[in-house]
Amino acid sequence: MKGLGYLEETILLLIMLMDEDAYGYSVSMMYEKHMGKAISISAIHAVMSRLEKKGLISSYMGGATPERGGRQKRIFEVTAAGRQTISDIKDNREKLWDLIPDLS
Amino acid sequence: MKNNPQPPRWADRFLGWFCAEELLEEIQGDLHEAFYHRQQHQGLFHAQWAYIKDVFAFFGPYAFEKYSRTKQFLPMFDNYFKIALRNILHRKSFTAINFLGLSIGICALLSIGLYLQHEYSFDKHVPHHERVYRLQSKYRDQTYTNMHFSDYYSSSAESQLQLIRFLEEDEAVDVACHFVPSYTAIGGNDQYYVEIQDRRFVAQDVLYTNTGKRFQTIFPQTFLQGNPATAFSEYNSIILTEKLANRWFGDTWKQQSVIGTTMTIREELYTLGGIVADPPSQQHFDFDWIVYQQEIPSWGAYTYLKLTEQASFPDFLGRLNQQIDQVYPGYSEDVLRKGIEGVPLTEIHFTEGNLYEIKAVANPAYLSTFGWIGMIILLIIWINYTNLSIAMYTDRQKELGIRKVMGARPFDISMQLVAEASLLALLSFPFCYLLLHLTLPYFGEILGTGLGRANLNHPLTLLSLFSLLLLTGIISSLYPAVTYGRKSLVHLMGDKIKSAFGYKYLNFRNVLLTSQFVMVVGLLSVSLFIYQQMQFILNKDLGFEKEGVVYFGVDGAEKYQALRQKLAQIPEVNSIGANGVPGEQMYNQLTYKLKDAEVTLSDGTQQYLDWGSIQTLGIECPPCQALAEGKERIFVINRTAAEKLAKTRGISPEELVGTTLVTEPEWENEEHGFGIPHLIDGIIDDYKYFSLKHPNQSLLLDIVRQPEWVYEVLVKVQTDDWRQSMRRIEQAYGTIETVRPFDPGFLSERLEKLYQNERTAGQLMGGLTLTVVILAFMGLAGMVSYLAFGRQREIGIRKVLGASVGQILFLFNKEFMLLLGIATLITLPIALVVSQNWLDNFAYSIDPKPWVVLLASGIILLLLIVLVSLQARKAAIKRPVEVIRNVN
Repeated sequence: MKGLGYLEETILLLIMLMDEDAYGYSVSMMYEKHMGKAISISAIHAVMSRLEKKGLISSYMGGATPERGGRQKRIFEVTAAGRQTISDIKDNREKLWDLIPDLS
Repeated sequence: MKNNPQPPRWADRFLGWFCAEELLEEIQGDLHEAFYHRQQHQGLFHAQWAYIKDVFAFFGPYAFEKYSRTKQFLPMFDNYFKIALRNILHRKSFTAINFLGLSIGICALLSIGLYLQHEYSFDKHVPHHERVYRLQSKYRDQTYTNMHFSDYYSSSAESQLQLIRFLEEDEAVDVACHFVPSYTAIGGNDQYYVEIQDRRFVAQDVLYTNTGKRFQTIFPQTFLQGNPATAFSEYNSIILTEKLANRWFGDTWKQQSVIGTTMTIREELYTLGGIVADPPSQQHFDFDWIVYQQEIPSWGAYTYLKLTEQASFPDFLGRLNQQIDQVYPGYSEDVLRKGIEGVPLTEIHFTEGNLYEIKAVANPAYLSTFGWIGMIILLIIWINYTNLSIAMYTDRQKELGIRKVMGARPFDISMQLVAEASLLALLSFPFCYLLLHLTLPYFGEILGTGLGRANLNHPLTLLSLFSLLLLTGIISSLYPAVTYGRKSLVHLMGDKIKSAFGYKYLNFRNVLLTSQFVMVVGLLSVSLFIYQQMQFILNKDLGFEKEGVVYFGVDGAEKYQALRQKLAQIPEVNSIGANGVPGEQMYNQLTYKLKDAEVTLSDGTQQYLDWGSIQTLGIECPPCQALAEGKERIFVINRTAAEKLAKTRGISPEELVGTTLVTEPEWENEEHGFGIPHLIDGIIDDYKYFSLKHPNQSLLLDIVRQPEWVYEVLVKVQTDDWRQSMRRIEQAYGTIETVRPFDPGFLSERLEKLYQNERTAGQLMGGLTLTVVILAFMGLAGMVSYLAFGRQREIGIRKVLGASVGQILFLFNKEFMLLLGIATLITLPIALVVSQNWLDNFAYSIDPKPWVVLLASGIILLLLIVLVSLQARKAAIKRPVEVIRNVN
């Protein structure tokens, strides 16, 4: 399994939880909403292309709207490998959390 | 959406320009969408600002179209280097030839470059050198590089400074100084014992000056110890160079101050005033130490001046010549004085033909010759390299063809070839460096310059080495690169090698080869001419005996007489003489004429020597019989002078005996009226007193039995054990002389020194010629072996049809011989003209004969046949069946 950066992990999760189309602008809005801070669209694009190269998400073109001046979106979906990776990460984390003695 | 506000157009266009095409739609879409929403929620201005920020945020590797292009481009470059390296490793012998040839050639070239740079940088280190001039005075037909003091030898400390003071009064002159190096003709060639405490050192090469601070102003010396203010504050101060300080004090002077150490020279007390860095070798005068004293021990000095910034030298010189009578009374009325002139400091090293020049000057003709040879070497390297690449690519045509099939454009193919050649060239950088590191010190030594490893490690040198290599790679691959790039696929994939370049005979390769032969034959013949001339000069009958003759200096007639007694007791000593040692640099000539004749001649050299000298030199001297019969003194002239004089009267030379000759007839004196009369006692055959570069040496000789003044002794020694004989002579000298060190020399060596410049040039020329020949043949070897390889099948078929190995070798040789023949015809006139130019430097020279060029061509032919046969033989002895069946 390839390593996953913090931002990559976050964005992968965001794509997973989104009901509507996940594309550059919508993901950035989502990020802002859930993480409470702004992120540039270019950063989103770069991260998503990395995730796509790693095979964790896939994409197709579609969904042109007037706001976009009739340009198509690149819509991303999380692949099975992506889901597997993210759940592996979660499992590993939980294992570690379990090992921490409960001091409270 | 038409009425809706749009993001800034320029930012949009900028995005379109840099963004990769396949990413543009999604990115631009996202940005527009973001703009739309922001504009609605946050206002137009904010939205526009955010849009611009976003666009610039994308301006990075991720969306960079240029980047994605480099990404395609770089692997291609990578590939070029990979292929180049594979080829280099694949063709080891070929690469070795290339490397070696390139390294040798570039090294030779760079050495020449460094040498020329050394010569042309003479005196350029002097600050404001463009404002510094040396004064020279013209007297009779000669130009003296020094100025004389107003009353010559009898000048006082005060009158020695007269000229300097006068010069400095002129508003154009900033400062003036003068000095005399002891090793010059006017410095007296003296040697000293310098006593420091109880120790005694021999020292020579001293610079005398009585204008110390001014000297320091014009020629600033770097003081390592002491400082110029104190060093030149009091007379009898000595300034040592680092070299001499090391010799006298060891290294200890660096730790403790030795300033103020007292020294004794000829019973006079001196103080050490400072230690300066060694003078650079690119300076027209040298010294080991400086003596700053009240009087310069000579009749004149080398005089320099530095102008102020605005001053014009011609104007100043005009004023000086008008007012010169104030320094030298009666100067302008003296018909023999032809005025004072000046040489810019940086041109001193290139000004030939003046009297008493301090250091041997550079011969511009030699320098330009070396420059030309450098160009020839560079051309040969390029030709070699081009030839070799052409040859090499003939069997890589298929590879290039495949590349074209795979989509390589002509430009890609050309780029590949250029990149390969450049890489190969640059890879030889370490070899070149190593080779130069080993050879440069020797090179510098042969040339008598300070060239060494320090010059090599100069960043500029390394940079020029690098760029020369790169340039060689690019230039030599240009022709094949362009040709192969443009060639059609059919040509590349086909099998025709021969028709690859131009017509059958007049093709690019043959033109290159022929010009290479021209250069090789030309250089070789010029070298042969130089060698012939040097042999001619060294073996020419000079009219006297030079073998086994030793000379050394002596102080005065008394010591000479005592020494003669002592030397006569040594059995090996055959004869002893005083003065008149041949092989001097040309010195001042005087005017002479027959009494009552109209015509005055101006090329006389008068000498004062004793009969012993004539005998020691083995000169035939019938008139000397008079000395044997008891006469004290005779006056003889040589045949050159006699013939010239006889012509003025229209009589035969023999009739001159018994007539009166007047020397310096324009000199008015109380004793004789005008000039000094001499009764001619006889005529002797010519002997060459000066260098053979000077024609027509008219000698007027005073031969005496007991000389009244003596400065040099000649001794003819016949011995098998030189070491012992010289020790005996030195012992004899030591019993007479305690103040002046013994400084013997061999006459034959002194004569050879006259041609030092020519010898050096000849040696260098020989070495460079050898380099050129080796280079040319290396290139040829590589090419022939490739040609032979490419013609294997033709050779095989010829053999099947009955050709012998010999016939096949002849076939190969024939082509090259034809080219060499043409080259020889072209070279013949060029070589003759060039050599004649060089030989014109000598008054006595060989005739450049055409057969020498043919000989050179013959030598090259022989080498060519051997080389071509050796290389072609590999292909010729292969069994036909092996090569013919091999259908690609």
